[in-house]
Amino acid sequence: MRLAGLALVVMFACACHSHPKIVQAAAPPPPPSDIIALLGDPETNTVGHAIVSSPIGGSVELTTERAGTRVVIGESPSAPFTLAETQVQQLFGDALAARPPAPRHFVLYFEKGSSHLTPESEALVTELLAFVKSLSVPDVTIVGHTDTTGTAESNIELGRTRAMLIRNRVVAAGLDDSVISVVSHGEADLLVRTPDETPEPKNRRVEVSVR
Amino acid sequence: MGACIVAGVLVGLVSTSQGPHKEPAGYVKVVMGAATITRGSVPMPARPGDAVYEDDGFRTGADGRLGITLKDDTRVSLGPNSEIGLSEFKFSPAEGQLGLVMKLLRGVAAFVSGRIVALRSDAMRIETPATIVGVRGSHVVIRAEAP
Repeated sequence: MRLAGLALVVMFACACHSHPKIVQAAAPPPPPSDIIALLGDPETNTVGHAIVSSPIGGSVELTTERAGTRVVIGESPSAPFTLAETQVQQLFGDALAARPPAPRHFVLYFEKGSSHLTPESEALVTELLAFVKSLSVPDVTIVGHTDTTGTAESNIELGRTRAMLIRNRVVAAGLDDSVISVVSHGEADLLVRTPDETPEPKNRRVEVSVR
Repeated sequence: MGACIVAGVLVGLVSTSQGPHKEPAGYVKVVMGAATITRGSVPMPARPGDAVYEDDGFRTGADGRLGITLKDDTRVSLGPNSEIGLSEFKFSPAEGQLGLVMKLLRGVAAFVSGRIVALRSDAMRIETPATIVGVRGSHVVIRAEAP
């Protein structure tokens, strides 16, 4: 081992001697490159998955926390490496600092065949409205659903009536109508799969996303 | 013309908003320093609450940062001296239409995936001049420096 090292030093010295210009030239700067990294989810901390590929071919999978790869244009992505927390802040901190607040979801349930909220969901509406008010520029999506009792057409109407009830509550709380989307899926998007004409409390719902 | 009318009718069916305009793909949530939205060819200053649309471009200045939340809950944020375009935003789960493509031309960006990726894991892609990043979830950061 030591001999091999010595041999390398001798070879290097010889090479230097025969090509002195190479020694004097500064090392070329690394070519500009992209850096891509996978981070833990900002809310749940779970680590997802990303696939980095080059238009010329070659791809790398990032599957562990702070796994990164470097890509020079016209080359394949580098083998994955792990970035230190400090490197993540240094390289990406400016973009991370502008991340919008995490969206929240609320599922509100209704009494059978009606647009009356269950008592538990009525309490959740209060929480929903408080969250909307806590955001500086909220927008809201409201999707109405029904169970399979009644016709598909009448359930589109009922889903819309339920969704509009929630929309009116959000508007009354002060949110501009223009940032609220209202959709009815009727009985087409069941939370619990049932045959037709089946009452199912979990399907009689309005799903609200607040961003 | 026919296609425009059909599209207008579809938008009318799935939302309460009226008129032939496209639905917003999301909204600007965070603006610090100089940041613009380019729709067509004219850059406009970005303000919190602004609606954003498919095909919009976003740019930040030397002191700028920008945060956007798309309607499927995807969050995108830019650091300074950055430029990104929203090339494709398809979020109609009922019709099976799901797709999100963004082009990061330069700078630094962070992404937290949303419903589109939750519903179809290969539906989100970030392109830079040097690479293509398939975001399968959830939190990915990219610094694009290749010329």
